[in-house]
Amino acid sequence: MFKKLARKVASKKQDDAKTGSVSQVEFLKDFLSKHNYIFSTDFGENLEILKKKHLVDDFVVTNFDGSVVASSTGSGHSDGIMGTAMFSYIKSEIPDSEAVLIKREEGWHMLFTLNKKVFIIKAGSELSGIELKALALELSILLEENKEKVKAKKVAN
Amino acid sequence: MTRVITIASGKGGTGKTTLTANLGIALAKAGKKVLLVDADVAMANLSLILGMQSSPITLHDVLLGESQVHDSIYDGPSGLHFIPSGLSLDNYKRVDSERLAGIIASVAEQYDFVLMDAAAGIEKNVLSALSAAQETLLVTMPTSPAIADALKTKIVAQRLGSKVIGVVINFVMDEKGEISKSECSSILELPVYGAVPYDPEVRKSFMQQKVLPVIARKPDSIAAKELQKVASRLIGVQMNEVETKQKGKGFFSKFTSIFRRNKK
Repeated sequence: MFKKLARKVASKKQDDAKTGSVSQVEFLKDFLSKHNYIFSTDFGENLEILKKKHLVDDFVVTNFDGSVVASSTGSGHSDGIMGTAMFSYIKSEIPDSEAVLIKREEGWHMLFTLNKKVFIIKAGSELSGIELKALALELSILLEENKEKVKAKKVAN
Repeated sequence: MTRVITIASGKGGTGKTTLTANLGIALAKAGKKVLLVDADVAMANLSLILGMQSSPITLHDVLLGESQVHDSIYDGPSGLHFIPSGLSLDNYKRVDSERLAGIIASVAEQYDFVLMDAAAGIEKNVLSALSAAQETLLVTMPTSPAIADALKTKIVAQRLGSKVIGVVINFVMDEKGEISKSECSSILELPVYGAVPYDPEVRKSFMQQKVLPVIARKPDSIAAKELQKVASRLIGVQMNEVETKQKGKGFFSKFTSIFRRNKK
C-alpha cells in the first residue's frame, strides 16, 4: 500500500515537471474543440453539421425517381433530377459501378447510392468511396430519425 | 466477440508497427486468438519486425483478387496469426485498399482480436484501415507535432465511424518540455492506455540474428512491462492483478492477506 502511494506521488510529481509549451497545448485543445460535432434536434441544423464534419459544400439526397428526400441547398430539385438521371444511365451501362465522380471547374460532383437512395455530393476535392459511404450512412441515419420524429408528431396531432 | 482495432497515429515514426507486433504477442500469450494485419500497403514492415519477411502470398494478392484471404494468413510468434503486406511497389499501385473492410470481415469472427497496423498520414490507405475497424487506438509521442497529427487522425477516424478508444504515448523520456501524460489525455480527450518509456531494448530487438519483438525477447525490460499493461487494458484485466499473480506474494502482501482472509 505504502509502495503504491509513494509510486503515485512520484509519478504525479514527474508528470507535473513535464509541462510542454502552454501555448501549444492551448492551440491543440482549441483545434479539437473546433471539430466537436454535436447534433441538435433540428434536422436542418444537423445537415449543416454533417457538411462541416465531412468537409463537403452541399449534398442532395434523392429517390431513384429523382424526387428529393433532403437537401442542404434548400430545394436541390434540378441537381436531384440531373444527378439521379446520370447515375441511372451509368448504372445501366456499368452495372457494378458504386460511385460516379465528376470533376468540374469549380470542384467535384459525386454520386453514390445506398439504401435505395442516390446521394449527390458537391465538394472542393474528391472523396474516396470510403468517405462517401461514411457520409451516406450518417445521412441515412439522420433521415430515418427525422422520419420517426415526423411520424410521432403526426400521431400526437 | 471479436474486437477489430486499427493502430494509427498520423505521424510517421511513432512506433505503430512496433506497438502492433508487441500487443499482438502479449494478447496471444494471454490466451487470446489474435490476427495481426499489415494494413500499411505502401510501406509494409510489420513482417520485418516479426521476422516473417518471406511470405509468398500477401494482402496485396488478396486485395488484387488474385488469392484467397486464408492463403495469406501465416503462423507468427506466440501462436498469433499474421497477414503480411507485400513489398512490391507495382502491386501497391494496383491494389484497391477499399476492399480491406470486406476481407477483414470475412475472417474476423475466428479471432478475439484483429489488430491492424495503419500507415502514417490520412491518405486513402489509412482511411481504409480506419473504416475497416470498429475501434482505433492512437499512438503518439509526447511532443506537440505528434499530438497534432494524432488529433487529426482521431477526427478522421470518428468521421469514418470508428470509435477511438484511447492513446498510447511512446518514447517517453521524462524530459522537461515533454507533454505530460495528463495533458496528452486532456488534449486528445482520450484515456491513456500506456506511456511506454524510451528503451534501447526495443531497437535492439530488430538488430538480432533472429528478429523478435521486445515483449518476447526481453519481457522484463521497462518497455515490455508497459506494453504488457496496454495489452492487459485491452483485455480488461488490471495489470496489478496480473503482476501480483506473476510475482508471487511478498512479505507485505502475505501480511495483509491475513486480514483479508479474516474478513471473509
